[in-house]
Parts: sequence; structure tokens; C-alpha cells
Amino acid sequence: MFLKHIDLTTALRPSYLPDEDLLFVQDNVGLYEGKFKLPNQQNGQVYLTSHRICYVDKAEPRKYSVALDLKDVERYEFYAGFLKSSPKVTLIPKATKRSSLQQRSPAHVAVPSRSGNSSPAHRQDGALRVSPVEPTPMSTATWVCTICSFSNPVPSNFDPTAANAHTPLPPCLACGIKPTLTLVLKAAISNASTRQPSSPALQTPLPVRPKQIADLTSAQSSGLTAPPRSSDPDASFHCPRCTFANHPSLLSCEICGAPLISHDIPTNLTQNPRPNTESPGPFLNSIAPAPTGLENPENVKLSFRRGGEKIFYERLKGCMTQRKWLLQNAPPIPKSSRSESTNSVPGAAGSSELERQRPKIGGIAGLERQTQAMRKNNEIVIGNAFEDLEALMASAKEIVALAESFAKQVKGAGGSSASENALLAESASQLGLITTKDIVGSDGGNSLYLSELARTLAEFLTDDRRGVLRKAGGVISLVDLWAMFNRARGGVELVSPADFEKAANLWEKLELPVRLRVFKSGVKVVQGKDRTDESTVRALLAWMKDLHEFPPDREVPWDWHEFGRGVTARDVAERFGWSIGVAEEELEMAEERGVLCREEGIEGLKFWENLIDTGEGKGYKDEATLKAELTLKMLKESGFI
Amino acid sequence: MATSEGFQFPKEHSFPPFYTPQINLSTRHAQLTKWSSLILSYCRHHSIYRLSLSDATNSPSSPAYPLFNNEAINRRLSPSYVKEIVNFMKKDGRAEWYGSDKNEGGGGDVVWIYWRTPEEWAGVVEGWVEETGNKGQVMTVYELTEGETTRGSEFWGLDQELLIKAIQVLAKKGRAQTMGGEENLGVKFF
Repeated sequence: MFLKHIDLTTALRPSYLPDEDLLFVQDNVGLYEGKFKLPNQQNGQVYLTSHRICYVDKAEPRKYSVALDLKDVERYEFYAGFLKSSPKVTLIPKATKRSSLQQRSPAHVAVPSRSGNSSPAHRQDGALRVSPVEPTPMSTATWVCTICSFSNPVPSNFDPTAANAHTPLPPCLACGIKPTLTLVLKAAISNASTRQPSSPALQTPLPVRPKQIADLTSAQSSGLTAPPRSSDPDASFHCPRCTFANHPSLLSCEICGAPLISHDIPTNLTQNPRPNTESPGPFLNSIAPAPTGLENPENVKLSFRRGGEKIFYERLKGCMTQRKWLLQNAPPIPKSSRSESTNSVPGAAGSSELERQRPKIGGIAGLERQTQAMRKNNEIVIGNAFEDLEALMASAKEIVALAESFAKQVKGAGGSSASENALLAESASQLGLITTKDIVGSDGGNSLYLSELARTLAEFLTDDRRGVLRKAGGVISLVDLWAMFNRARGGVELVSPADFEKAANLWEKLELPVRLRVFKSGVKVVQGKDRTDESTVRALLAWMKDLHEFPPDREVPWDWHEFGRGVTARDVAERFGWSIGVAEEELEMAEERGVLCREEGIEGLKFWENLIDTGEGKGYKDEATLKAELTLKMLKESGFI
Repeated sequence: MATSEGFQFPKEHSFPPFYTPQINLSTRHAQLTKWSSLILSYCRHHSIYRLSLSDATNSPSSPAYPLFNNEAINRRLSPSYVKEIVNFMKKDGRAEWYGSDKNEGGGGDVVWIYWRTPEEWAGVVEGWVEETGNKGQVMTVYELTEGETTRGSEFWGLDQELLIKAIQVLAKKGRAQTMGGEENLGVKFF
């Protein structure tokens, strides 16, 4: 299924995967399936992340929100729009269900990749790149020469796990300057990490020769399909990069050094008379229609009704190149098994290898040899480790500086309690998915940014791990929240107070689980949606009733069984965990509702259960209402209404 | 419950917030209503017809002192709030600033507490005249308030000025006629 239903957070945003990064948000986007509009997905926000494209419907977010994984995207096209037709980005899915066997058929490979529909699956070749039978896959990584910026291939015998300072490195093909080891090492590692995970994903190991790995990846990266015209193994074939006709037995192009496609394909594959590669039927059937009622999953179009398509396309492009989803389930960079590393290191390593194969020598001599071998191994391992470290050290300084400045900022908050600091540090790490102004489309003025900010805030507030609201007794003043939020951002991408307030005002409109509330004094607080004045009043009253039962701390002259006792804002703040400002406001709110009454004395303002108004005040209306009612009555009597 | 010479104070009288002017309008309305009925019943119990506010709030010798001062809970009503209560009662016709009818400006210290308004007193007097067959008789005000004939009636012992107000109400209705000078006012009932 190409389009999948997705889970949304409390703030009605897609819940992200662990490593997922938000790249772009745009509203007013509609979905097309093929040529047809999807009826239920015509107005929503599109979130481009490093792994997915999520569509969140505006009207029915929980029902119609869908996402598609970028890893399933074969190609993407851009359509700039014409007259009344909005700009669109078309996403063409891969045919995941197809057998990867067919992919190797030369006939299929020869199909020009121009039309995504007729050969929807040639990218599937990725499945074959790494197969478990190959201990040393041919590397197609390239390193960019620092002198002339020519991209050179990493030598095929270069093993990143075993390489050290003495490993011979070929000079740059263009300028002849030798690269540094770290440069080549980095290139090899990044290549390995992007290539590795595709095989577990599809689990179709094929008995292919190592050479094939090279051709496939090159075909992929150059966007061309290498053309072995026939199954005749003797024919020369063209380099995908420079089109030079090479001898078939060559592994890399004589002219440009690009890895070449081999003709040594097992016969059963080459003979395969292109089964149903061209038939779209099984391909279409193999993909079940999405739950949203998609009939024709040949492609999905995003229609940008209010701009943003260009940035979206740019970011999508970047994202498809980076292919971060491969990293997500990538195993850590492969560690060399001891035998491998010893193998590739000449001299001492070779002897230990021999040792292992030889029958064991007993006695003291055997033990001695064993320890000797172990020591050597350790040496190699440590050497390797330091080689790796060297590569790391290049960027380590920056990272350390960054970490220090970050720690300083958190500490610099000063005066805040330890728990708050802990909260901040914790929050900061979770705020990676924050919306910033350059993530969202800029065209619709600030509104999209604000609504995204509102959602981010709602998530920040309702996140159970942080419990920002819970710790503040369910109510937090807007100013406190603003300060906390900006500090959690660690001094970057700060939110201006104006934007913050505007975003807070959007909560109600966006139906988020938090609300901004304005007390009559003008104090603005943030509270959960389920928290109403009634529930607050009920809680207050219940407490007041308790005070009739429990004797006050000190002797009071009045009958506390009858009247309870007066409470100050401070008492209330302590009891409910609110800030004093909030407590004052809540008490006044309750007073305004006639539930409490006040007592001003030398001890300050106290609030009591309202035993004054026991029904007498109910019928009371102030003069303005009386007047209005009178006018209405007179109008009615005179027949105007 | 504090009592003052047999008067049973309502429980609000010992409720501390009762002495603070309430902000909430309906609560305040209820508070004013309660105070006003408390003042009226207290004055009726003690046959108080007019009050000096400064005395009542400040000097313990005043008969109305326990009304505005609850020493048991150490709370007292502020003079300004007492004034407000009086003004509230005035709207209901239950109080009047002493001297306001004599063009002395009003708003002074002394206030009439009308647990019976002059009209009501007029009705009481009229009822007594009918009952006792004093129609057509001429009586002095002193006779009415202090005399032997009226002993036992409700207006015996009534403040003379208040009685004159009541008689003036009757005179306006044409049920009585005043005669004589200021000092010894006579009245004839019809």
C-alpha cells in the first residue's frame, strides 16, 4: 500500500519515527491519485520529513490523514502549474511486490527508465547490491579530491575496517594528488552505511557475482541504465558514465574508472524471457487499494493550492538523495572480525592466520604462541580504533564546543530550581522536531507558522514525559510558559512574544487539547481543554467544605463548624499547586460566580464559602439588565417584536 | 449567636465576611438585603426610630452598637459601608436621612430607620382612631404618644417627629387636619 493511514499526536500532527526529521510543512494541499482527486483529501497540511510525506486532513484529521514512505517512492516529478491548474509534485511508487529475480533480466534493464509506469521496478535492484555471500563487496564509494574536486572511486580493495596509515592509496585520477586516509575512510564508511540495510529489507539473496554490485549502484546513481545490449558475453559494452566501449571482462571503465556492469550473469537469469515486466496488470493488482479507496495507485500527486511547491520539491529532492530511512534500520558500521583484519594486514597478521589453521600445538610453546597472537591482535584492534578516532577527531572539536555552549545556556538560566533545569535539559533533547520559520512555507503570511507553533506548543504542554502542565497544577501562565519554552530551545530559534501569543490564540480554532484563558484582570494562562471553570469551582468548594470538618490550625472566634474558614490566595496556591497569580484569579473567578465571598481584614484578603448569598441575590439583576428587559417588554407590548 | 437584650442575631452576624463589602454584585445585593433586614428587626426589637451612625459604629454606649460591632469575632462594619446600607434601605423606603425633608441637605449622621414607614404608621393611627371611636376628636401629638388613652397601642412611645410625619400623610389624604402651633400640635381625625 502506497498511502497508509497514520497516527496523529494530540496536537493533530503526525507522530514521528525515532530518527525522523521534519523538513517542511505546507498547508492547502490536496491529493490526487493518478488523474483523479481524492474526495476526502483535498485540503490539508503536508509534512515532509526525512522519511515520509504525511498528509493531515484539515476537516477530519483522524480519519483521512495518510502518509507515504519515501522509501517506496520510485520517482518524483514536478509540474509548475498552468493557468488554473495548481503546481503539483507527482510521486511514483516502486513496485514492492515484484520479484527481485526479474530485475536482473538484461531485457528489463534495457528498458529505458523514462516511463515510470511501464518499468516501475528497476530500482528494486538495490536488493541485490549486498548479499550475504559476499564478504568483500566491491566498493563504489567515491571520494572527492580536495585539490581538484574530482570524484574518484574508492579502490575496490580498500577495506575501511582494516585500513591504516600504511594502506596504499591511489592518487586522484585527475590531478594525481594523494588523498588523506580520513577522506577515503569517510567516503567508504558513508557508502557502506547507505548500502547495507537494503538487503534485510527485501531478503532476497541472490547468488550473484560481486561485480554486479558495482553496476547496479552506478546505474542508480547516474540515473542511467547500463545497457548490455545482448546476452552475448563477448560483446563489448558501454560505460554508463562516459559511454566508452570497454572489454567485457573489465571491472571498471578504462577511460573514466567508473565501475562496469558485468555480463557474467548466471545463465538462468539471462535466459529469462522477460516474464511480465511490461505488463502493468499484476503490478497494479499486487498493490492493494489503500483504505481511503484508492483505485489507481500508479502515482500520487500533491497539489499545492497556495504555493510552497518549489521549496517542497527542493527539500524532497535533498531528502531523496540523502535517503535517511536507510540509516534508520542500518546496523552499526561493520566491525571487522578479527580474522578479516588480520588477513588484510600483511606480515604479523598473516602468521596468526596461519596459526589458526594449523593444528594446535600443545604445551608451553602453544600457550606462548597463543598469547603472542592475542597481543598482536590487540595491537591491531587498538590501531584500528585509533585510526577511526582520527577520522572522528576532525569534527570532534566542533562538537565539543557545541556541547559546551549548550550546557552553558542551560546553566545560564540561573536561579531556576534544579528540577526545572533537569526538565529543560530533557526537553531540549526532545525539541528536535520543532517548527521553525524556514521549515514552513512562507507564502501564506505567518498563519501556517503560527498554527504549527501552536501545535508544537500543545505537544510540549501535553507531553507526559515532561508534564509541564501537570507540574504546574494544570494551569500555567502564558508568560511562564513562554520563558520555559524558549529556554528549552536552548537559545536558538526563539519565539517572539507576539508570535507566541498569536499561536496560543489558535489552540481553540485548531481543536488542540490546550486552551488559552484570559482572566478578567487580563492575565493569560494556559490550561488543558477539559479544565473548565466549573471543575475548578467544584474543587475549590469541595475543599471549603472540608474546612468545616477539620479544625483550623489555631483557635478561631467564630464557629468553624458552621462557617469553615477563610483562605488566602497563598493557601489555595499551596493546596492546588498553582502559582499565586493563578490562585488569585481562580478565587476571583469563583467569587464572580457567587460561590465565594471575600473578607478584607488585617490578615489580608480571604475568601470564604458564600454564606451571605443564600438565595437572596439570585433574583438580583443589575440595572443595565433590568433596563434592557424593560425595553424588551415594552417593545413586545407595543407590538414591535 | 450573640444576643443583645433578648435579640436573636442571625447567624450571618457572626460570619466574618459579612463585615466586608462584597465585590460580586449579586452577593453584595444579598449582603445589603440581609443587613437591611437585620437593622430593621434589631430596631423594631429595641424600638429604635432613628440612629446616629457615628455613635452606633463607635460608641459602645449606643443601643445600636452591638448591631454593627461583633466583638466576639472582632469584626465591625465600617461607617462608610453603614452609609451605603442606609442608602440601600432608602431606596426601599425603609430609611431616610434625618433632616432631609427640612431642606437641610440630608446625608448627615442621623438617619430614620423605618421599620414602619410614615405611611404604615398613618395606617396604624387611623386604625386606632376607627377602633376607639375617636373620629372627629381633636388630640395633641403629646396625647397620642404619651397619653393614657393611647397606652398599649403600637404607636405609644413613638418618636413625636415620626408621628407628625404620619399625621401629615393622613392630612394629605384628607383624613386628618393639623391645628395649633409647633410646640403643641393638635390633630383632628375625620
